[in-house]
Amino acid sequence: MSDQATFNQPRTGASIALRVLLWAVLIVFAIWFLLPAYVVVGTSLKGLEEIRGGSLLALPHELNFSSWRHAWSEACIGVNCTGLEPYFWNSVGMAIPSVIISTLLGALTGYSLTKFKFKGANLVFALILFGCFVPFQVVILPMAVTLGKIGITNTVYGLILVHSVYGMAFTTLFFRNYYVTIPDELVRAATIDGAGFFTIFRRIILPLSPPIIVVSVIWQFTQIWNDFLFGASFTTGGAQPIMVAMNNLVNTTTGVKQYNVDMAAALITAAPTIFVYIIAGRYFVRGLTAGSVKG
Amino acid sequence: MASLTIKNAVKRYGNVEVLKGVDIDLQDGEFLVLLGASGCGKSTLLNMIAGLESVTEGEISIGDRVINDVHPKDRDIAMVFQSYALYPNMTVAKNIAFGLEMRGVPKAERETAVLEVAKMLQMDHLLDRKPGQLSGGQRQRVAMGRALVRRPEVFLFDEPLSNLDAKLRLEMRTEIKRLHKRLNATMVYVTHDQIEALTLADRIAILKDGEVQQLASPAEIYDQPVNMFVAGLVGSPPMNFIKSKVTQADTGLVAEVSVLANGVEQPMLLDLSQQPADLTDWIGREVIVGLRPEAITQDGQGASFDSDIDVTEATGADTLCVLTWNGQEVMARVSSGYAQIIEGTMAFSIDMSRASLFDPKTEMRLS
Repeated sequence: MSDQATFNQPRTGASIALRVLLWAVLIVFAIWFLLPAYVVVGTSLKGLEEIRGGSLLALPHELNFSSWRHAWSEACIGVNCTGLEPYFWNSVGMAIPSVIISTLLGALTGYSLTKFKFKGANLVFALILFGCFVPFQVVILPMAVTLGKIGITNTVYGLILVHSVYGMAFTTLFFRNYYVTIPDELVRAATIDGAGFFTIFRRIILPLSPPIIVVSVIWQFTQIWNDFLFGASFTTGGAQPIMVAMNNLVNTTTGVKQYNVDMAAALITAAPTIFVYIIAGRYFVRGLTAGSVKG
Repeated sequence: MASLTIKNAVKRYGNVEVLKGVDIDLQDGEFLVLLGASGCGKSTLLNMIAGLESVTEGEISIGDRVINDVHPKDRDIAMVFQSYALYPNMTVAKNIAFGLEMRGVPKAERETAVLEVAKMLQMDHLLDRKPGQLSGGQRQRVAMGRALVRRPEVFLFDEPLSNLDAKLRLEMRTEIKRLHKRLNATMVYVTHDQIEALTLADRIAILKDGEVQQLASPAEIYDQPVNMFVAGLVGSPPMNFIKSKVTQADTGLVAEVSVLANGVEQPMLLDLSQQPADLTDWIGREVIVGLRPEAITQDGQGASFDSDIDVTEATGADTLCVLTWNGQEVMARVSSGYAQIIEGTMAFSIDMSRASLFDPKTEMRLS
């Protein structure tokens, strides 16, 4: 303890004032950024009367979850008053396979681009990387034609295909950059030991990959869950993902605007990505900065 | 066990020729060391034997079987890598057993084999650990165990000791030598450390720019280097090269040098009569006389002469004395008790039977 004290600066008036100023600034900014979230959560818990009567910033009088129930199972989206529930499951059914497929493909591609280098591997990587910079809007038309030809327009399968293909550029980048840090000698040793391409991948490379798998899963899940454009473009009605449904819910007005239901719907829609980030978020930065594997 | 034959092996990357026709014939049970500076092609050659690099031209065979196009796993070889290349996600036991598992050896048999090898390398207490929990020396042992467990025809080592500290390196060197004796296996060992090469090898192949300079026993490499490159590479401190004119004296042919003694340059005649080469063509011309430091030593063991000592370097058992011949530094090795004086003039003796002569133009040995 006494050692530590020598490292601390002596507490002079000026240093205390600076400290106080620092905290004040940080607290003001924290409030500034948290305020909208507070308003959304607070409003979702209020009744309509209370919203109309009270201040935007006032605390709800009681915890009223009726607007959540309404948004989940009763609210009208277009002409169907089913709530967000079926669309939520649409999104789950779309996001989970897409995340798995794109992550797996990214891992395999990254693995072959780094550990089984072929002629032109760098060019292939550059082209795949190019995919990261292609805006969503550019691929809509060709993708629509493709989906039509295959016959999976307006289905969850169509969205799975779109997100898997589009996501592969990013996942390949993640995995390729991670696998570059794994020594080639591991693969050489395994080759001499008699393992083939897929055996090495499954037995040696994949077990070393969890940090980057977490990164890929968070990134892909957030991207796919939050996607609006592909969902709105390639699906209609009952096959839509929750992001599109929420938009329609908010835009469907039957008489009074139900702000509490809109807020609850927004929170329900955002919940899974927040959940994934809370569970795996601390691995995210660790995975992105993870360096070489000690041999 | 089997012999290893490399016939005119060539490796090209595009237009760059990394190996320019290497011929090596290795007997069953022989220990070959490939020695050379980095970039000489020694690791490439090893990888070609392992099957990790393709053979551009030529032929590599193990026993009677040409293995140019045989997959690494079917060549019956095992390799120890510089970084050990242990699988970080597997325990030591799994690491060692992986090769057997890939070859479909039943589990019970695998376990017996692993235990046997672990005992042989005294690491049976480490079997449940992961590589990350091991020290450098222990990892090295695991890497060896992984190679040993399969009982391959040929062992390949790619600078396996270069990541160890000095003391461990000595220990493992002895261990490898002991293993070779015990298994009597054919081994190819790549290193840039000439001491490792001299101590381990039955034969050394010295490579430079993709060509074998000399392929011979350590003693022959040391005593009769074929050219100045080999002479300079092997031995520490390296061989002294002294330019000198061959002249006819009453006693036979001699080479003349000037030695700084008592502050004055004094002529000295080096006796060339014990040289096996016919030097009559060289009379009146300059040759390079190559003398190992230990051929110039304390007085009483050959032709004696006085010389000023510029600097002394004590190495423990021996002391190195820097002398000045022809205005150049020449290293002499005397036993440490003898060279108590730090500077001044001392009597030395020279053993010309151990001298090598080189052509100054081609740098090749005169023989």
